[in-house]
Amino acid sequence: MSVLIIVFLTAVAALFTGVFEKGKFARYIGIFGLIVALYVSFLPEASFFEKYRLMYEYGANTALFTKISIVITLLLFFLGGFAFSNHRNHQSELYALMLFALCGSFILFGYQNLVTLFIGIEILSIPLYVMAGANKTDLRSNEASLKYFLMGAFATGFLLLGIAFIYGSTGTFDLYRIQDFTTVNPKNGMLILGAVLMLCAMAFKVALAPFHMWSPDVYQGSPSLITAFMASVVKISGFFALFRLMTIGFSGVTHEWINILGVFIIITLLLANVMGLAQTNAKRMLAYSSVSHAGYIGLVFFGMNTLSTYTLAFYLFAYSLATVGVFMCLIWVEKLKRETSYGAFKGLAKSEPLLAVVATVSLLSMAGIPLTAGFMGKFSLFSQALSRDNNAFLVIVAVLGSAISIAYYLRLIIAMFFYKESSFKTTERVTVTYNIVAVVIIASLVILGIFPDLFAKQFGL
Amino acid sequence: MSYYLLLTLLLLPLVGSGLVFAWRNTSSKYLALGIALVQMFVTFYMLSDFDFNLTVDSSLQYEITYPWSKFIKSSIHLGIDGMSMLLLLLTNILSPLIILSSYNENVSYKNSFYGLILMMQFGLVGVFTALDGLLFYIFWEVTLIPIWFIAALWGQENKRFEFTTKFFVYTFVGSLFMLAGIIYVGIHSASFAVTDLYNADLTDTQQIVVFWFIFFAFAVKLPVFPFHTWQPDTYTYSPTQGSMLLSGIMLKMAIYGVIRYLLPITPTAILGISGQIVIILAIIGIVHGALIAIIQNDMKRIIAYSSFSHVGLMVAGIFASAVLTLRGTFTIEGAEGALVQTFAHGVNVAGLFFCTDILYKRFKTRDIRQMGGLAKVAPKFAVLFLLIILGSMGVPLTNGFIGEFILIKSIFDFNVLASVIAGLTIILCAVYLLRFYGKAMFGEGDASVLSTAKDLSPVEFSVLASIAVFVILLGIFPQPIIDMVGTSLKFVYTSLIN
Repeated sequence: MSVLIIVFLTAVAALFTGVFEKGKFARYIGIFGLIVALYVSFLPEASFFEKYRLMYEYGANTALFTKISIVITLLLFFLGGFAFSNHRNHQSELYALMLFALCGSFILFGYQNLVTLFIGIEILSIPLYVMAGANKTDLRSNEASLKYFLMGAFATGFLLLGIAFIYGSTGTFDLYRIQDFTTVNPKNGMLILGAVLMLCAMAFKVALAPFHMWSPDVYQGSPSLITAFMASVVKISGFFALFRLMTIGFSGVTHEWINILGVFIIITLLLANVMGLAQTNAKRMLAYSSVSHAGYIGLVFFGMNTLSTYTLAFYLFAYSLATVGVFMCLIWVEKLKRETSYGAFKGLAKSEPLLAVVATVSLLSMAGIPLTAGFMGKFSLFSQALSRDNNAFLVIVAVLGSAISIAYYLRLIIAMFFYKESSFKTTERVTVTYNIVAVVIIASLVILGIFPDLFAKQFGL
Repeated sequence: MSYYLLLTLLLLPLVGSGLVFAWRNTSSKYLALGIALVQMFVTFYMLSDFDFNLTVDSSLQYEITYPWSKFIKSSIHLGIDGMSMLLLLLTNILSPLIILSSYNENVSYKNSFYGLILMMQFGLVGVFTALDGLLFYIFWEVTLIPIWFIAALWGQENKRFEFTTKFFVYTFVGSLFMLAGIIYVGIHSASFAVTDLYNADLTDTQQIVVFWFIFFAFAVKLPVFPFHTWQPDTYTYSPTQGSMLLSGIMLKMAIYGVIRYLLPITPTAILGISGQIVIILAIIGIVHGALIAIIQNDMKRIIAYSSFSHVGLMVAGIFASAVLTLRGTFTIEGAEGALVQTFAHGVNVAGLFFCTDILYKRFKTRDIRQMGGLAKVAPKFAVLFLLIILGSMGVPLTNGFIGEFILIKSIFDFNVLASVIAGLTIILCAVYLLRFYGKAMFGEGDASVLSTAKDLSPVEFSVLASIAVFVILLGIFPQPIIDMVGTSLKFVYTSLIN
């Protein structure tokens, strides 16, 4: 809770710097605030806000996800200086909005009440609608903003209707009391309808097919750093919110929604990977890749055990790190070339080897090649799902999905490495911050791939 | 026994690879060769230190066990038995030769090229020493990235995008299925350690599913018919060193994997229809590969298809003995033959690819119809090349003979008709290899090419001569290899029955 307050105050401070100054001061405030928040998140939580306990709980898992999302946001802030350097007028607002959205994430990590869930989702989403349209002169960005907003509103409708049904059948908003109710009355039709509606609404938020239609356009239209934020922090938040909802709130009626989720996952894995293969634009490819990862992460619901939360956190962290790794490369290329087709990456390895390497390691991690964190994540997910025999089909689909995905990840690697002549003629070099972030991401991905226990230790598991 | 030796063997190529990458200098090839040679001497030292007179139950030596992660039932478990030793020898003898073979060439980006070869060597040593299913899979995949970069970055310009992507996707798909299979077995056993995987609690149906999942990865890598379509292209368009690595060593990972992992985990599947299907596919591959090799004119393709054909024989032999053992007549002959052949084939095929490289440099073409008469101007090459050709054909007193003989005998014990068809490989092999040799070395050559063609340079001579020494030496004394693998094979095949 104190983390939430620190980040919120930082966001307000960052917002106010916009009044006095047009430059990057907000970014420094944000970095400072996030580092403080990260430090505080490692301290034991004071029971200062005990009386709000029924709305918000700050347990070990909440702390874990809070830390992950702060780390990822921090990395994005470090990249911000370069990524936003042509947003002359509204930089501070963008940083502030990102921090506000992060506050929404924190709420989603610890909600104990469906109203808190709703509030969290809205706090997370509304800044994103604005941020998606940050490139005001770009039609695609405007389209992204509008599309995201309309789709988001649609999902909110589903969510509210779902919550209404739940309230109607159980008479409570509290997650644990809903859990008690469902274990006693697993056959309550209105409750199941509510659960399914909420599942659909959350599927919108995490971009699970068939509710993913908005994501490629929004990802492509938004400024790249914002896209990276959506693909990492927003996905982490959405997934953990869904995880809490389904495994705490509706754990008593698992058999009613698990098959629906299974169908979503199968559609996601096949559709997103095949569509990803058909893309010619790296940013759109990453959008579909992000959708497909929602499919893999969904496997965590199958074969639930005590390690599920850890698996979820590990996979999301590995995936988010890799996302930041690819996007930092993409931001650089987009800045120099003004486009993000595969062709724009040609010869990057010759002019900026470190960027090419960080993107390659990240892509290999997303594909699940061993000695990267992504492999350990996929391994845990697959082994968890395979612990029940009747999930074998899902895992086969996931394996096929990964197999398809490697083909489009390779295309980007090929573009970066396999052209003898570099198409980059610029004299502009990567900044020091960029290099540091790149090294941090490569090191984290490889070290977590070899010693997965370090992650668990770091986050108190 | 000191496990530091094994740790050195594993980490030396990795550290060396890092050093070579950092050494952005043309002399990085000296560094790489030095590291590979040290690695070879460490292996020889290990061999001298290796205890061959062990009982079946404790044939593992230099074991390292280190707990890895409390969330994964896997540990860092490495060790060497006779089978591993043989493949380590193959890897660490061929690697310096492969590095040496590119010595006079003007390879672009030397440090990356040699760094990747060493990284590959790291993965291979890992594969052959891992005693944990997951670790095995990890090293298995680790070898894929360097060879992909080698094939793609230094391969033939115009074709490299299609063939490398095809190669990568094929092998990656296979590997993923293997991963799913290994995880599945791991879940049903105490841990991912090899011996625990052997005792996994699987029903007959589960065994069949696991069998095909794991076999798929090996089938792609070997390759077994009909999973071979990536192979000729990749072998043809890769740089010579890439082809040598791929066919000489990397293919053997799958032979090793079949014996070490597949057979003992899924005996019921092998006794049933699945094992028979594999033998039939392997025999189809033998004939199919050989027949296609006969009509090829591209010399690298001839060797690619010949390799495909030879591998079929090894697979058929391994499975034939396994089926026989499961039916009650304990025999390890087929697997012995396959392992002897593994070593011989690795050496020979690497030699053949190097010979094609030498021919290509002289004639500037890979089409054997446009060659001829080189024997007159390059007698040293003619002799060494012939020795390697004879070795590949399996002429008695060369290294290829003894393996093929044992293999065909073990298939004969399994089924006479199968052994007759499999035996065709020897005849067909003679046809295409002698055609290749005859076209390239004799006949009327292009006078202008021949007048400028030189005999072997000292580096080329040293590589080919070392390979020729192995061809003769192992042809006359094959017994050490058979002894080396005997104990470990007995252990594996005994686990098959229990």
